[in-house]
Amino acid sequence: MRRPCAVLPGGPRRASREGRSLRFPAALCWGARRLEGCPGHVAPGAQPRRAAPAPRPCPAPRRCEMAAPGGCRLLRLGRRWFSQEPAVPPPPGPLYPPVVASHTARSKAARRRRLEHFHRQVHEAASIEEKLRLYGKLQRPKYTVHPQTFALNADRWYRSFTRTVFVPGLPPPAEAAEEPGPAAGAAPDADLDLGALRSLACDALLQESFYQNKRRPFLYRDQDHTPGPFLTQLVSSLAASLCGRNPLLAASSLDLNPEVNYYWHHGEEVVVHGHRKGRVDPVRFQIDDKPHLQLRVPKQLPEIVPLESDLGDVPVIDHKPSKLPLFKKQYENKVFIGSKVADPCCYGHTQFHLIPDKLKRERFEIANLEDQIEVVYRANGVASLFAWTAAQAMYQGFWNEADVTRPFVSQAVVTDGKYFAFFCFQLNTLALTVETVKNNPRKNICWGTDSKPLYDVVEEGSVKGFNDEVLLQLVRFLLNRPKEL
Amino acid sequence: MLAVRPGVPQPEDTVQFRVSMEMTKVDIKNYLEKIYNVPVAAVRTRIQYGANNKKNHKNQRVKKPDYKVAYVQLGKGQTFQFPNLFPEKEQDEEARSFDDFRKKYLEKEQQIQKGDPRRGGVPDWFGL
Repeated sequence: MRRPCAVLPGGPRRASREGRSLRFPAALCWGARRLEGCPGHVAPGAQPRRAAPAPRPCPAPRRCEMAAPGGCRLLRLGRRWFSQEPAVPPPPGPLYPPVVASHTARSKAARRRRLEHFHRQVHEAASIEEKLRLYGKLQRPKYTVHPQTFALNADRWYRSFTRTVFVPGLPPPAEAAEEPGPAAGAAPDADLDLGALRSLACDALLQESFYQNKRRPFLYRDQDHTPGPFLTQLVSSLAASLCGRNPLLAASSLDLNPEVNYYWHHGEEVVVHGHRKGRVDPVRFQIDDKPHLQLRVPKQLPEIVPLESDLGDVPVIDHKPSKLPLFKKQYENKVFIGSKVADPCCYGHTQFHLIPDKLKRERFEIANLEDQIEVVYRANGVASLFAWTAAQAMYQGFWNEADVTRPFVSQAVVTDGKYFAFFCFQLNTLALTVETVKNNPRKNICWGTDSKPLYDVVEEGSVKGFNDEVLLQLVRFLLNRPKEL
Repeated sequence: MLAVRPGVPQPEDTVQFRVSMEMTKVDIKNYLEKIYNVPVAAVRTRIQYGANNKKNHKNQRVKKPDYKVAYVQLGKGQTFQFPNLFPEKEQDEEARSFDDFRKKYLEKEQQIQKGDPRRGGVPDWFGL
């Protein structure tokens, strides 16, 4: 059979270098067999096959040094091999991508680049929910910090984890400081009908402990039996009666058994076991708190002291948190104030905590640990308020790379039914990680009192030894509001 | 009950003991308070498993014994630091001079071993 042979359209035949007579364009060869005497044939992989257009003079007759014979011929068939358009000016700016460290290498530069990428992602997040989701995306074992703990000297450890300074006593009321006139200073207290408020408190107490017939409490359920309902009743009735004097209370939201969570990094440690052994990791903490009651308001409480004030020292503890004892677990990294981000009442006013049965006064007295009684109250106040204020700050978009620009203030009352301790917390900084805490002079501040009894004893339908000071302090806490209102 | 030096640094108020496997936290607290008058605030215990990996000359597995470790936190603000049981002893005149003499003798021996310094470290057997 005669092999197909194309007669080249137009143009005289040109002598090839090899001097063969048959011109056979490669496009018409089939199979991978080398056809003898076919100067135009090229092995299939060597050159892309193209249809032969009108012949043109080869623009570079001697320059094409191709392996296949007659390869130049293909080019001479008119294919352009360099552009004949006018030269385009090079684009402005660098021609090459920026020289940065690797993304996946096991090097410090790569780790820094990955961290920067993560920080940029969180900074550029579209919404607060997205920011919180990215912040707590990576799950690793973390220390669970319980605000109500039996650990000895827990409040010192908690202050070192949260960079908090403890100032005994409450801050002086702002109105008295600003307007030194006696009438202005005494006005908020003088108008109060203390008798009515006292009767409210006594009614609640008597109802729960005397008038209502209750069965004996189950084992370790004493606090849920009487002091819990008493506290709820007391706070709701006091808040309702003080609504007229404090419009913020009218717009507030009272949560029953809410949940408050916060997740943060502080300090560094080397991973001990596992496939990540030897790596330097931040120390992760999580607080999951369940206050008994919580008042959330739409406007923030005023700052007590300026943002950069220094009222004391933060205790520095060199030991690992596991010596407290504190235990590690891995679960969801939650940041929550008690309501979701879209809620208008996104700032905190007051929390009410109930001390559980295992941490009652009597148990400490039996075990000869009287000095640890106040530690329980202080640790509860510091940890719960830090978690709440920090979560409020995160709801406003701040985090440890974007530190707070205004202080967040909240209050708390820790009680076991009879003894009340009052705490005030000002969050000045969220930057607690190793890099951000280096040049951070700010410290969080917590003011707190010792626990004082509200009454001495309830017998035969009357409350003996009612303490007005404690009630007054509680009322002052509830009346606290920003200056505009 | 044996007070031991902690392997990992412990807080100042924590003392580490190795106790018998049958002792409980309450037992340890009573023991220290009643016999030694030590105020105890809290006790935490754990059992350390002794490994069973080593083999003897008969290729039998040899078990290291298990033991219970107790971490006792002292009350009333007391602290405890495990003492250094092997302190550096003060050497008297004779011992110091004997030490110097011995050191000089050893140095001289080492010099002789090295060979003539003028040969620059080249061994003795190298040469014509």
